[in-house]
Amino acid sequence: MGFILNPLYNIVSGVIVFIHKLLSPIFGANSGVTWSLSIVGLVVLIRIILIPLFVKQIKSQRAMTALQPHMKEIQKKYKDDRQKQSEEMMKLYKDHKTNPLASCFPILAQAPIFFALFTVLNGIAHNKPHGFLKGEYLVSAAQAKFFGAPISETFLGSEMVTVKIVTVILIAFMSGTTFTTQRQLMVKGMPKMDSSNNMMLQQQKIMLYLFPVIFAISGVNFPVGVLIYWSTTNLWTWGQQFYVIKRNPTPGSPAYEELQRKRAHKAKSDGGHVEGIDQNEATEPEVLGQRQQPKKKKKKK
Amino acid sequence: MRKILTALVRAYQVATTNIAPRCKYYPSCSHYAITAIGRYGFKGIAMATWRIVRCNPWSEGGVDYVDAHLDCADVKNFIHNNEKEVVGAN
Repeated sequence: MGFILNPLYNIVSGVIVFIHKLLSPIFGANSGVTWSLSIVGLVVLIRIILIPLFVKQIKSQRAMTALQPHMKEIQKKYKDDRQKQSEEMMKLYKDHKTNPLASCFPILAQAPIFFALFTVLNGIAHNKPHGFLKGEYLVSAAQAKFFGAPISETFLGSEMVTVKIVTVILIAFMSGTTFTTQRQLMVKGMPKMDSSNNMMLQQQKIMLYLFPVIFAISGVNFPVGVLIYWSTTNLWTWGQQFYVIKRNPTPGSPAYEELQRKRAHKAKSDGGHVEGIDQNEATEPEVLGQRQQPKKKKKKK
Repeated sequence: MRKILTALVRAYQVATTNIAPRCKYYPSCSHYAITAIGRYGFKGIAMATWRIVRCNPWSEGGVDYVDAHLDCADVKNFIHNNEKEVVGAN
């Protein structure tokens, strides 16, 4: 494991120390603000690197509208054979060189980074240097505080009341952001479900309420620094999704229809440009129509 | 060992039903891993790892079984139908 994790310790601690160096003149080298923002900076850096992947995925999701009729056909043809249905679906994506699904590697690749951060921050608590976080940095970081709670302390490992309060607030924040992100996606962001997706929707509903519990159980063992990382990344996910749902919603989703209405309304009130925009309005609902399964089925019969 | 790994992958599946939109391959990386580890042991771990590496934003995804001649839907249906016939004959 060492040969995988050592470079990660170096990267994680290197980034933190680098941002710390940048911010030290502003907030002071030993300030908790500097150290907290260093962790936030690490998140921002990772998420910025991941943006192109996110954009790529959104684009291929949008390309799905064109494949919708084929997909309905497959669903109808193999409605009793889920495995065959999935196989054909995947073949369809591959033939059209598009795939709406995220890939596993970027998601799983974040896990070791998280683990490395956990180890590096735990190292601060136990005075063990990892990567670039050693010597004076280690001493300084060990004393750094986030709203009065040392960033290396955990809920279970500390007697301090401040640590308990701060960790609880952070865990509540993490649960809150995950919950709203998930709910936002379910209520507004997804195309209307047909019966075949109902089971998935049910599962998602269970997870919606299970997640805060998972966070609470695992969060009490994590140092404040890791909780800062986790909270920031959740907040980023929420913001990113909020932006996409508002500006570029999935065709067929409630948010998409809302945007359509808004645009139509704007076109009317603008008066002069009505014709130009109305033409757009006329073409887009057509695309929308393909998503409604009952209509399509009747045609096929 | 196999049981531990399978349990770990299962835990991952349960934990990520909603965060990770599903894998771009069929079967998904986690299902692939369970089959591969169950069938090939240590070699299966390597196979699963290689599969996860292939499951990146620049690959095309698609249908990818551990052993297509054992796992694909057509073969399974064939076996299933044959069993029915045998039962019927008896």
